Amino acid sequence: MAEMAIFYDASKCTACKGCQVACKQWKQLPSPLTADEFEFTKSYQSPLEVSPNTWIIMTFDEVDQEIGVEWNFMRRACFHCSDAACEQACPVGAISKKDNGAVVIDQEKCIGCQYCTNACPFDIPKWEEADNKTFKCWLCQDRLANARLPGCVTTCPTGALTFGERTEMVAAAKTALDDVKARGFDKAELYGVDELEGMHVLFLAHRGLEAHGLVRDPKVPDMIEFWQLLKPLGGVAFAAAVGGLGLSYLSGIGYKREEPDEPEEVEK
Amino acid sequence: MTNHWIDIRNSDVIMAIGGNNAENHPISMKWVTEARKNGAKYIVVDPRFTRSAAVADLYGPIRSGSDIAFFGGLYKYIFDNKLYHEAYVKNYTTASWLVNPDYDFEDGLFSGYDEASRKYSKDTWQYQTDGETPWDTEGAFAWVNAPGTPAFTTPVAKTPMKDMTLSDPNCVFQLMMKHYERYTPEVASAVSGMPLERMLEIWDLFASTGQPGKAGTILYAMGMTQHTYGSQNVRAMAVTQLLLGNMGMPGGGVNALRGESNVQGSTDMAMLFHIIPAYMATPNATVHENLRGYLEKETPSGGYWTNKPKFFISLLKEMYGDYATEANDYAYAMMPKLNGKNHSHIAMFEAMNEGVIKGLFLWGQNPAVGGPNCSMERKAMEQLDWMVSVDLWETETAAFWKAPTIDPATVNTEIFMLPAACHYEKQGSVANSGRWIQWRWKAVDPPGEAKDDAEICTEITLALKALYEAEGGAVPEAITKLTWDYVDENDHVDISKIARAVNGYTVADGKLLSNFTKLAADGSTACGNWIYSGYWNNEDSMEAVDQPTGARDDTDPTRKGLEGGMGSYLGWSFAWPVNRRIIYNRASCDLDGKPWNPDKPLFEWTGTEWLSNDVPDFGNKAADGTETKPPNATAFIMLPEGEARLYAQGMADGPFPEHYEPFESPTDNALSSQQNDPAVVIWESASLGTKENWPIVMTTYRLTEHWQTGQMTRNLPWLVEIMPKMFVELSIELADDKGIVSGDNVIIENNRGAIKAYAMVTNRFKPFQINGETVHQIGTPWHWGYTGSCSIGGIANDLTPNVGDANTMIPEYKAFLVDIRKEEV
Repeated sequence: MAEMAIFYDASKCTACKGCQVACKQWKQLPSPLTADEFEFTKSYQSPLEVSPNTWIIMTFDEVDQEIGVEWNFMRRACFHCSDAACEQACPVGAISKKDNGAVVIDQEKCIGCQYCTNACPFDIPKWEEADNKTFKCWLCQDRLANARLPGCVTTCPTGALTFGERTEMVAAAKTALDDVKARGFDKAELYGVDELEGMHVLFLAHRGLEAHGLVRDPKVPDMIEFWQLLKPLGGVAFAAAVGGLGLSYLSGIGYKREEPDEPEEVEK
Repeated sequence: MTNHWIDIRNSDVIMAIGGNNAENHPISMKWVTEARKNGAKYIVVDPRFTRSAAVADLYGPIRSGSDIAFFGGLYKYIFDNKLYHEAYVKNYTTASWLVNPDYDFEDGLFSGYDEASRKYSKDTWQYQTDGETPWDTEGAFAWVNAPGTPAFTTPVAKTPMKDMTLSDPNCVFQLMMKHYERYTPEVASAVSGMPLERMLEIWDLFASTGQPGKAGTILYAMGMTQHTYGSQNVRAMAVTQLLLGNMGMPGGGVNALRGESNVQGSTDMAMLFHIIPAYMATPNATVHENLRGYLEKETPSGGYWTNKPKFFISLLKEMYGDYATEANDYAYAMMPKLNGKNHSHIAMFEAMNEGVIKGLFLWGQNPAVGGPNCSMERKAMEQLDWMVSVDLWETETAAFWKAPTIDPATVNTEIFMLPAACHYEKQGSVANSGRWIQWRWKAVDPPGEAKDDAEICTEITLALKALYEAEGGAVPEAITKLTWDYVDENDHVDISKIARAVNGYTVADGKLLSNFTKLAADGSTACGNWIYSGYWNNEDSMEAVDQPTGARDDTDPTRKGLEGGMGSYLGWSFAWPVNRRIIYNRASCDLDGKPWNPDKPLFEWTGTEWLSNDVPDFGNKAADGTETKPPNATAFIMLPEGEARLYAQGMADGPFPEHYEPFESPTDNALSSQQNDPAVVIWESASLGTKENWPIVMTTYRLTEHWQTGQMTRNLPWLVEIMPKMFVELSIELADDKGIVSGDNVIIENNRGAIKAYAMVTNRFKPFQINGETVHQIGTPWHWGYTGSCSIGGIANDLTPNVGDANTMIPEYKAFLVDIRKEEV
């Protein structure tokens, strides 16, 4: 199967959050049923961050201007990297890269160790305490298998989200970049074409990466490389045995600072 | 919409003003995006920096309520720089028509004003005429002689006097230029608060569509209409589009973005008190004492509305069937009538408060949150004996007795709740903003005891009929003789029978009419809504899928001899009237029938025939359908003038849009000493405040994430998650003044109430410089209330004034005064 990709063109996005809801609807991801469950976020961005039950959010960033503002939107969800830190960090092979480019967590295998949440340079995978599992966008593998577009792409009213073979999406992104530059967006950049050996979500940030909150030159953490050498030695058993040593390094390298649960607890 | 959604892609310049299309009509952005691929520019004019503004090419901030200053300035800019479409203005508008020399305008008042009644006498507003032409009742109007047609005195057309050089001081063009001399860029900027340079940039860009062949569209919504001069705001846009030659053009038009999926349909079907189906005046006992009186008063001398007797009598035939005969004025006496008083939303609640209205039927309505000054409206509901709420949830209105300000022990109203089916649980037609009447099929059965509205209506109507049959009453025939045979063998509603009645049929054989051109005034045809005629005209099937309304051909074929699909999609559903996608489409061509824009031709006259990409609204064929008619200059067939009105005598508050301040305004009117629209009715209960007490302008709006009064969304966890709380947006400058930071609980208040909200402090709101002073504006959504399972919050409409437009009584929701403070803890 060819590698596939979503292309998100921020210049066409109105941040309607249709994608946010469509994702939750397709996956039947719950939201709290009672009033006052959510904090006021002080922003149109809500929730403020992706979570085990919310796999996409739209982000809103304001830059003041003499008249009005620049109101910059971005789609925040898994980037489906080719050089996927989460997949490399997973001690039990629960995260795999599919032929179509999607990076998928198998929750049956996930032991809730949160190495992936710490390894991800974008802090995307989110661990859920109740099930001790980690969740993130899986690029609608079930829909793709049935010749359907990803849920978020299906619902996008403006054409800001499109989906297709990655080579075609890269070409479309380059054309779109030329178009917005011609419209005067000098700082416009593409993202995901080369980053982390190529992502399976591509971005056109028409006001530049920083304005849209994208991480420039993302890297797989060095420790992951070291971990990669050790991992073939023994999977889960290894993780259990050596837990206190190498893994404690791993848990410190990402954005999160919570203590991982002991893998043994999950296995019982 | 004069045009339709897809047609936005044909625009060269798109201006959203008084509407927030990206947020409230997300699909519109698909077509804006398409247009921009071809180089179109997108302008957003709004008091706040919206998600529409975020993607616009040009954004202009404007103080709520100052739109006519903006448009008046634009007219002057167009005149001063000769940017109008001259041939179009001269031939397709009333620019050349001469007006009574006694017409005058001085210091905010047009001639004929009577201060005591707050009304204008319009005698001096009339055209100059120099001849009269009675209807030719032997020729074109021979139908008035057909047996069965009620007798009425036919109108006489007056011959207008014109000056095609547009130089006579009394011609509309000269009067208009004179009227707007005061609207200099500096004045327009000072009144509206839009920075001068940005305003000129916007004017220049939009006026560029005045070049022949260019098209600009205006997208608007409630930000334009919900003012005491809302109708004049709409006129202001129409006049702009006429000066620039944008009406009738693909990519042009004045396009009302309807705020609910079927609000176009409900308006077509007479949701409003002053019209009956298909935009005819509601009979008024004090004006139309009998059928003859109605026909004489309501039938114009020229234009397509001369057929109104056919439409009206066919409606009566549908309403009262065999009971409606020539002898009894087609049961005209049975038809409900107005009593000369105002019965708009605001007046209805005044009447409730006075105990005149004893019962209230709410059908998907939630005025306890949606009405103006709605704490007063909730108070008025306490006077009701009974209330019926047909809805999906227990709305704030159904639960008005639970309102924080009401003591349930004092409320004696009996409340009935009828659970309704939601949109996917019933079938029927839905008319979108572009007038496409699309059939929507039922997907699932409604849960529990919930029923289709049409079924609820049928059950009630049949029960009422049985009661009046059994017990009689005052004028029982009004109910007992009413047609209600839209049922199956088990007396359940049969929606296809309603559709047949709406489309119209021949009374003698019950055969469907192909369209409204077949309607007669002699009682031989019946039709529930003439503009819909043709949407359900296939006699061979009772199924929607076989009817024009159910047609789903998604190809947009190139019509004979013309280049390219125009996005008309004539085989997809049915657009009223007669499947016309762009109305006043004759105006898309020049006098010789050549398209102004040869690259986007709707029509073209070849010298012997018309090529077309739409359904023409001009007489391109002789009455017998055989002979093709060459072009003439009558581009606006619905008007007696045949030409579009730059000057409208029909308006209650003046033939030209004139700037007045909102009833609660932070400033004095800089354009005249008339502070407010002089023809507006004022209700005491509005408790209007002054800028001294309430210095801050407030406006209300909707969010993408929520819907109307919130019942459809505040009960859905997914939607609450993406916008969980009621909030108020305010500028950093105002927040600093008031010691407020983002996330604070604040109180917003005025004479009518006080509400709580979370503060969202943002640069998207900025102070305005208005007539030399700093004016702050804040805004809140109006989606919150006190019922709803996932999110409750302050009711913005507790603050809005119940003062209405001079012409339509639409409340001034969009501009009023408040103050804001941090909540004391």
